[in-house]
Amino acid sequence: MTDPNRPTTTAGTPMLKVSELTHRVELGNDTLTILQGVNLEINRGESVAIVGRSGSGKTTLLGLLAGLDTPSEGSVVLDGAVVSDLNEDERARLRAQRVGFVFQSFQLLPALTALENVMLPLELGGVEHPERKARELLERVGLGQRLQHTPRQLSGGEQQRVAIARAFASNPVILFADEPTGNLDNRTGQAISDLLMALNSEQGTTLVMVTHDEHLATRCQRQFSIEAGVLSEPAGAERRREALS
Amino acid sequence: MAASQKLASAGRDLRQRDVRVVLAALVIAVATVATIALFASQLQRTLVSSASAFLAADRQLEAENGRPVPQAWVAGATSRGLATAQMIEFSTMVFGGEGFQLVAVKAVSGDYPLRGEIEYQATPDAPREMRSGGPAPGEVWVTPRLLRLLDLQVGDPLEVGSLALRVTGLLVREPDGGFRMSALAPRIMMHVDDVPATGVIQEGSRVEYVYLFAGDEARLDAYYKWLQPQLQPSHEWESIRDGETLSESLERAESFLLLGGSLAVLLAAVAVAVASRQYALAQRDTVALLKTLGVSGQQVGRLYLRRLAVWGLLGVAGGLALAIPLYWLLSGLLAEALERPVDYGVDPAALTPALLTALVSLFAFAYPPVRRLRHVPAMRVLRSQPGESGREALPDLLIALLAVFGLVWMYARDLYLVVALIGGLALLLLVLAALGWGMVAGLRRLSGGGSALRLALVGLYRHRRASLSQIAVFAMTLMLAATLILVRTSLLDDWQGQLPDDAPNHFLINIAPDAVDDVATYWEQRGMPLDQLYPMVRGRLTELNGQPVLEAVSKDERINALNRELNLTWMDSLPEDNRIVAGQWFGAGETAGVSIEAELAERLGVTVGDVLGFTIGSQTIAEPVTSIRTVQWDSMKPNFYMAFPPGGALDNMPATWITSFYLTRERKTELNGFSREFPTVSILEVDHIIERIQDIVRQVTQAIEAILALILAAALVVMAAVVSATLQDRQREGALLRTLGGRQSLLVRATMIEFAVLGFVAGLLGVIAAEGAVWALQFRMFEAGFRWHWPVVVAIPLVSALVLAVFGRWQLTPVLRVSPMLLLRRLE
Repeated sequence: MTDPNRPTTTAGTPMLKVSELTHRVELGNDTLTILQGVNLEINRGESVAIVGRSGSGKTTLLGLLAGLDTPSEGSVVLDGAVVSDLNEDERARLRAQRVGFVFQSFQLLPALTALENVMLPLELGGVEHPERKARELLERVGLGQRLQHTPRQLSGGEQQRVAIARAFASNPVILFADEPTGNLDNRTGQAISDLLMALNSEQGTTLVMVTHDEHLATRCQRQFSIEAGVLSEPAGAERRREALS
Repeated sequence: MAASQKLASAGRDLRQRDVRVVLAALVIAVATVATIALFASQLQRTLVSSASAFLAADRQLEAENGRPVPQAWVAGATSRGLATAQMIEFSTMVFGGEGFQLVAVKAVSGDYPLRGEIEYQATPDAPREMRSGGPAPGEVWVTPRLLRLLDLQVGDPLEVGSLALRVTGLLVREPDGGFRMSALAPRIMMHVDDVPATGVIQEGSRVEYVYLFAGDEARLDAYYKWLQPQLQPSHEWESIRDGETLSESLERAESFLLLGGSLAVLLAAVAVAVASRQYALAQRDTVALLKTLGVSGQQVGRLYLRRLAVWGLLGVAGGLALAIPLYWLLSGLLAEALERPVDYGVDPAALTPALLTALVSLFAFAYPPVRRLRHVPAMRVLRSQPGESGREALPDLLIALLAVFGLVWMYARDLYLVVALIGGLALLLLVLAALGWGMVAGLRRLSGGGSALRLALVGLYRHRRASLSQIAVFAMTLMLAATLILVRTSLLDDWQGQLPDDAPNHFLINIAPDAVDDVATYWEQRGMPLDQLYPMVRGRLTELNGQPVLEAVSKDERINALNRELNLTWMDSLPEDNRIVAGQWFGAGETAGVSIEAELAERLGVTVGDVLGFTIGSQTIAEPVTSIRTVQWDSMKPNFYMAFPPGGALDNMPATWITSFYLTRERKTELNGFSREFPTVSILEVDHIIERIQDIVRQVTQAIEAILALILAAALVVMAAVVSATLQDRQREGALLRTLGGRQSLLVRATMIEFAVLGFVAGLLGVIAAEGAVWALQFRMFEAGFRWHWPVVVAIPLVSALVLAVFGRWQLTPVLRVSPMLLLRRLE
């Protein structure tokens, strides 16, 4: 079994390698295939968008990539760890140490203040002085004055900023974002994606974003589209990428 | 409006957890309160009728002067619609079988008994049966002891005076076979019409004519009003309100039940309040939506008011559906204990408290948060608004508290109880406030880290508002449950303490002064030393501070002790179970003064220093009261209203001695040998009565335990309501923690620790408050001092910690079973 705690591998290996990933769910007597034979390789520091309509299977794919769920078939190797071979606790440890999340619906705990929400992953990871680090991050996302506010007292954009601060708190090597601007208006969405991109390049994080927003997708280095559970990289994209590199 | 009504329909409601909790709380509250009230009213009726059975009537008129009362008195009762019966009681020698025996004869008319039944056996081996009438003319029933003493068989003749009667059965127990002085020798029962033919009763014989009356209270009162001016001092009018052991046991059971009922009311109110507040919070989005669709605040108010009414109806119907069978079950138990049928009728008046409980719980506790729904802004649809602050709810809370304590007061009719409970709760909230402050101060600096303990403590701090309110509700619930458990324990201990298995069950009476030593030696030689022997002098209390006592005391008081001869005694030391409440017990060598029983003293208005005058035979004495003492009337030991010092005023009066002792059933035959050796000593057998009381106590205990279980169920519903109120938040938190990389075991341990701490603190607070309340209650009910009940004090916090930890673990189950992604989606 792979040790999720082993040191990060060298830059040569891909950050995420997905082979023949298939996911089925049982619905009564029927079996529904949500993902079909997905292959994907993402390099370190890359930003990748997966674009698809509602119900295309993109969020399921994101969950499997991040180790939130286990696939029916195929494997996911994240930063050298075979996610699909890890048990629940090992995956939890992997997430705590190397993965960050941003959700469409923010997923902040309503009872906690902005500061406490950001401290949460730091505490889980046993980081020293979690409060200091959380404070710095909230200042970085422009919420230095709103530390003690609860999510209810914040606007949608502000809540997503808190969520972004929380996602970067544990210094993840890879960040998964699920429709990060889906619940926001255009302008706020723009600001949030700016922030996300800026932090991503500052920290050198690999970014995997799922969205139905083509415009947001174009801000990523690579775009994939997903339809009826089948993932494809649009023609020419490969060439463009090679040219860029 | 039709669609919005559908949205708010009861059927849809029932699918919501909060509504189900409200309904469960209502059903349990109505069920508990109704069962208790019905059973208490049953006990009340049973109490009166069983006490009546002790008289075999509702009232008795005794003529101690050996003459029948004027025929007009009986006619006066009959014409007022009262049922009457007659008895003649006297002692005489009977002849039969092997020889002579002094017996106490009870000659009864055909209507005897007016209340209760006679327990009878056709032969010594036949089963016992209940008879509603005595022997027919020409027949006689005898006690089993007489059968043994005279070596008689059923069917043999027995000569009473000059009349030969035929023994047709055994008299096991008479309904009025209490502690009457004339009922000491072996009893025979015959028909009153046979008495003249015996030729036993002559002018000057010691005979008691007893008249029995039964009917409703108003007629009895009217009759007594008419009769009273004609009564002479030798006439004794007896009503049923004399301290009988059975009545006292049942009365205590009743007050315990009322206490239990009051606590059930409080618990239900708390459950309804918690659940409906949660419900109202969850309804805000719906209301906002209705408002955007054009429904006015008033319409919203009416909509939810109608819903509350539906809940109320459902709660009452469900509660009664549960209560009535349970009441029948408990009544069945009681009937079994009393060995006679009880009235299974449902007393509609007893249902009032249950209905009021439902009404008050709904309108004082559930309505306020629901009413505030009217003010939910339509804007909420677009943007979630800040939650309620606690301040708006404060006046509602005060009104609700007042309402519920009013309810308890109305229910238990006991201001002291209400004050004790309020006191307990106030104590609890005070400690809780201090705890909240301590928590904020102590945990603020703490931050999570990887350990479950730190995570749990941080959780407690971060959710401090929810934590404190949960602790408050848990603690209140546990306080109420603990109060009941503690009171139940004391009540049972108290009963068992009063009537231990070896409680004296036989009295020896009429021991002549020169036989005292011999009697004591007789039993000592047989390994059965007697309890203390007391001298007994029969005398009447006739004067109070030189005034005739009947003039000196209020005319409204009917004091039986004044209508009859009292047993006076002298003793050098205070009996163990007596307690001095005023004045001082006689000092060594002191010969003046008298000690009076506290209750009688209170009714007479006598205090230390008042002078009591007694008429003993033809002599009178007067002594100042030097002490007032309480007496355990139900101890089955000789008890006295009046005690004098040795060598005091009673010294030269004609006295006989009395004692009591415990005799096992197997050794009962030894009484025969004793009777033969000491023929003048009377033996009073109370073993049947004691066995019955112990039986009743056992059955009533079962009833109490059934009700305790019901109330603990109510407590669990409250806990479940509170825990489920935060269910969704906690599941979301659990899912998120897992997404952020929290290990399952860490999550489980942290949650269990957090709940265990909540449970432990709440349990500790609850039990401390309960001890306070119980102390206050017991101080009055049982006159006991404060003491910690260590097993309960230790057990409740631990059990509550454990139960809540398991609750917490159970809440977490869905979080652990599915993938965090699925859970987050579901909770969105």
